[in-house]
Amino acid sequence: MRMKMKVVDNSGVKWVRCIQPLKGRKGVRLGDMIIASVQEAQPRGKVKNGEVVYGVVARAAMQRGRCDGSEIRFDDNAVVLVNKQGEPIGTRVFGPVPHELKRKKHLKILTLAKHIV
Amino acid sequence: MRLEKCWFCSSTVYPGHGIQFVRNDAKIFRFCRSKCHKNFKMKRNPRKVKWTKAFRRLHGKDMTQDSTFEFERKRNRPERYDRNVTMETLKAIKKIDKIRVAREARHHKMRMKGKKGIEQKAAERELEQGISLVKAPLALREESSLTLSKIKVKVSQPQAEYQMEE
Repeated sequence: MRMKMKVVDNSGVKWVRCIQPLKGRKGVRLGDMIIASVQEAQPRGKVKNGEVVYGVVARAAMQRGRCDGSEIRFDDNAVVLVNKQGEPIGTRVFGPVPHELKRKKHLKILTLAKHIV
Repeated sequence: MRLEKCWFCSSTVYPGHGIQFVRNDAKIFRFCRSKCHKNFKMKRNPRKVKWTKAFRRLHGKDMTQDSTFEFERKRNRPERYDRNVTMETLKAIKKIDKIRVAREARHHKMRMKGKKGIEQKAAERELEQGISLVKAPLALREESSLTLSKIKVKVSQPQAEYQMEE
């Protein structure tokens, strides 16, 4: 029973439920890639209800430490849907996005994002 | 590396300290320690919380307008590194700090100016009212130096006799 997360791109999906972290470790944090199941999708989107998709955690309410020692946390838990290679399915990303994604090589998401924190 | 200001208490956040909270409208709130962070989560207004700089500035406890604050304004333009400029800046920082501290001390002094007089008056009044706690009233009466001088009041005699007859 994993977490329900908001989807913040325009792939047509509203909510996904995280099934598994891709790296197979204990938990998922900010910037990790996950396997998720679509809970609620818009009727004419690219993705349908119940499909299994990949996603990248774009915002997490749990604080994540940065290399300068500070910690950052967001208001909610949000995910950007990607394909297996890590490229986003949608064409827009809403809301702020951390620059932890740069390290994880999710550069496409960073270019789509309006605010990088 | 940048020294930030805590959103709640306005103290400096040094690297390695504190938490950054990013709201969904991309506004960043930085906190110096969990005390400020927790107060923020409780939705407290820093202008109403007595120990924050915001409160103190608002209520005139601390200096608000001064030219020394102009030096600390955030400038988003990156400066090209120049060794001389850096050296001069470091020296200037020390001097400006000294001046600012002196001005703040002066502001505090001005604010506390009448305090001694008020305290003295309050103490005198308290002594006058509570003198019985210090010395017994009998002893006070006997010792003529401690009591107030007796005032002679003239009472007209015929008036008194008239009343007694009644």
